[in-house]
Amino acid sequence: MATMPAPLGRQRTERLERIWAEPSGVVGWLTTVDHKRIGLMFFFTSLVFFAAGGVEALLIRTQLLHANSGLLSPGAFDEAMTMHGVTMIFLFVIPMSIGAFGNYLLPLMIGARDMAFPRMNALSFWIYVASGLFVYTGLAIGSAPNAGWFDYLPLGSKQFSPGPNIDFYTLGLIFNGISSTATAVNLVVTTFKLRAPGMALNRMPLFCYAMLATSFALVFALPPLNTALIFLELDRALGFHFFDVAQGGDTLLWQHLFWIFGHPEVYIIILPAFGIATAIIPTFTRRKMVAFPLVALAEVLVAFIGFGVWAHHMFAVGLNTVTTVYFAAASLIIVIPSGIQLFAWITTIVTGTPRFKTPLLWIVGFIVLFLLGGLSGVTFAAIPFDQQLTDTYYVVAHFHYVIFGAAVFPLLGGMYYWFPKVTGRMYYERVGQASFWLTFVGMNLTFFPMHIVGLLGMPRRQYTYPHGLGWDGYNLVESIGSYLLAAGLLMVVANLAMSLFRGARAGNDPFGGDTLEWSTSSPPPPYNYAVIPRVTSPYAMWDREDREADQRDLAGPAERVLDEGHETPASSVLDADWDEILEMPSKSWSPILLAATLAAGFTMLLTRHYVVAGTLALLALLVVGGWHWKEPQEA
Amino acid sequence: MTRSTEATSAVSASYAARRRVSLPVGTWGVILLVATEIAFFGTLISSYLYLRLKVSHWPPPGIEPPDVTAPLILTAILVATSVPIFLAVRAARATHVRRAWLLLLVALIAQAVYLGVQIHLFSSDLDKFQPTDNAYGSIYFTMLFAHHVHVLVGILMIGWLLARLLGGLTNYRLVAVQVVAIYWYFVNAVAIAIVLTQVSPSL
Repeated sequence: MATMPAPLGRQRTERLERIWAEPSGVVGWLTTVDHKRIGLMFFFTSLVFFAAGGVEALLIRTQLLHANSGLLSPGAFDEAMTMHGVTMIFLFVIPMSIGAFGNYLLPLMIGARDMAFPRMNALSFWIYVASGLFVYTGLAIGSAPNAGWFDYLPLGSKQFSPGPNIDFYTLGLIFNGISSTATAVNLVVTTFKLRAPGMALNRMPLFCYAMLATSFALVFALPPLNTALIFLELDRALGFHFFDVAQGGDTLLWQHLFWIFGHPEVYIIILPAFGIATAIIPTFTRRKMVAFPLVALAEVLVAFIGFGVWAHHMFAVGLNTVTTVYFAAASLIIVIPSGIQLFAWITTIVTGTPRFKTPLLWIVGFIVLFLLGGLSGVTFAAIPFDQQLTDTYYVVAHFHYVIFGAAVFPLLGGMYYWFPKVTGRMYYERVGQASFWLTFVGMNLTFFPMHIVGLLGMPRRQYTYPHGLGWDGYNLVESIGSYLLAAGLLMVVANLAMSLFRGARAGNDPFGGDTLEWSTSSPPPPYNYAVIPRVTSPYAMWDREDREADQRDLAGPAERVLDEGHETPASSVLDADWDEILEMPSKSWSPILLAATLAAGFTMLLTRHYVVAGTLALLALLVVGGWHWKEPQEA
Repeated sequence: MTRSTEATSAVSASYAARRRVSLPVGTWGVILLVATEIAFFGTLISSYLYLRLKVSHWPPPGIEPPDVTAPLILTAILVATSVPIFLAVRAARATHVRRAWLLLLVALIAQAVYLGVQIHLFSSDLDKFQPTDNAYGSIYFTMLFAHHVHVLVGILMIGWLLARLLGGLTNYRLVAVQVVAIYWYFVNAVAIAIVLTQVSPSL
């Protein structure tokens, strides 16, 4: 934006500012439908839950610092362990990756002005907040879920868990699932229909492919979890017998349903991280991604094959041999698309001209950790090996390399990478690099020794362990590592928080980024782009002529500016031909009201007031009816 | 370029619908809703079959095998409502709002009759055995209840459409007609899968 816009251009941007303005202050945030504000709310809320999950992790590690520790009672340990898993999976990684990163960045990357369903987007956020508070209410009243995040039966049944602990888990996660499903549907439809005209599918950034694959996986993976949770709650609250062996039920049904969700979930967690890696690598290596179509296909394939491997979580429960062998083979197949991506990232870095700035450092760290986690993962496909090591710390080591190393590292790298875009300020580079090294060292100190104690036979999920088994030294190192890890993460937060106020001005494009979001101002205006961007390749920012044409179009045909209303173009699904112009909804109280109604309904289910809960469900339907009463053109 | 959301008459809404080169946003939304719902009902039916294959007597001794005739006839009636719904979409697209309204009303009446009789059958089943008796009762009643709730929601959506169409057709309402139709095709398809699972012990 070096040149002053022409007078017509200025008039148009001023008109767009007026049309897209939202109320200021608290009311503005409560009623917002702007994907960027919703993304920011997702970001900060999931950071709070990340901190809570982190404190739980530190409690666990402090308890295991030395043998026979009495810091946490066995019951408190179970609660800390369960809440750590539930929080990190459902209240941190998913909302952070699709709610914050997906929501904020995807519309920007595809040149849209909002998500396809802006009010449903807000609804998704408010439901997420309410469900998080719901689960944590259990902790506050001393009845936190305590049967593990996997909640195996019969431990989670009424007979063995008579308190309300598990009800907070079942109802809270059903509630939370509504939010994830809504965001997933929104991301799919946005990607399909709201891409800037001209962004055919083969011109869509790989980040968006990753988000698309994740969202599809969520759409199909959450129903099995919800079914399992509904069965369990019916068993617990009304005395049904889905998981009661004495009355024809089956406890393994829970494990099947849970892992049919749970394994795709692993890829749901990790695919957005892959997407972030494919966004950061080209920028900092000044090179387009190697094997673009293969990487796009691999992202989709990982999400797809992820549905066919669930029983490798169940090799030790006594399935028949044929089933076990099938799932072992299917699990090995996933190595292929994962390997394709790994080689593509490495080759892009090696054949490019890498600048190892903070964001790329996190991605390199991610590649190393994903490789280690992936290799230990392959070992589980060897059935006898798996049967020996199941329920030991070897498993804990493996999935923390995958989930913390491979999923959270790119999220942290992404925070640094897009921080200038979101805030308009630069972070501190040297502190950023130091925070990476501290976290990387802490991460490896915490989780690498777990491989060894696992091989030595230390069982997971135990609140303590005896002296003299050769585990003490490793556990001490792990706990010290976890404190370093926490210090590293605090350094990330401190860096970004300081930069928010003191950082240097970043400008639109401090890194020479490859995707569209770098072409708009930092932070982006409420309408994202004054001119609907031209797109002729997946590296739209590197197509200088297109960006210059956009500048000229600000005073050009009205169709490329759309300054007559709260509008964004919709295009066709594959080729992104111009289709129609959509009037987008603006601020609304309906989402937060609906979320509050649902929260009241779930609370009534928890307290066993079924008639009130049913009435609230009908009330929620009425709110939905009212929500759709006012049509876009009447707004 | 069509500003389709501004189409506030039957003629302009129909024009906007014909000008489109791909499905509108709302239609994609309901397609994904249906996708996730299919996974839900697929899981329910799979759980039914899983529990069934674990035991030697299904239904367990003491519970009569399910009646076949009534559920099949009812399902046929429900599935037949796809025809007036399909015709209503065509009528609405062709600007015949009044005809679309009447066809939707026909569908609504048949669906309401279906749901009424099903509720009656549900409660008379409850007199014979309970979901708290055994796993068969649990999955039987849960599966049917889940489907009836979907029928109820569909009926409410058609009621909403009928109320809105009284004020004429707009682009938004025309898309809504198509969206509700897709939801109903799904509910009807699931009805077949559910009823076959339900009566399977007697076949």
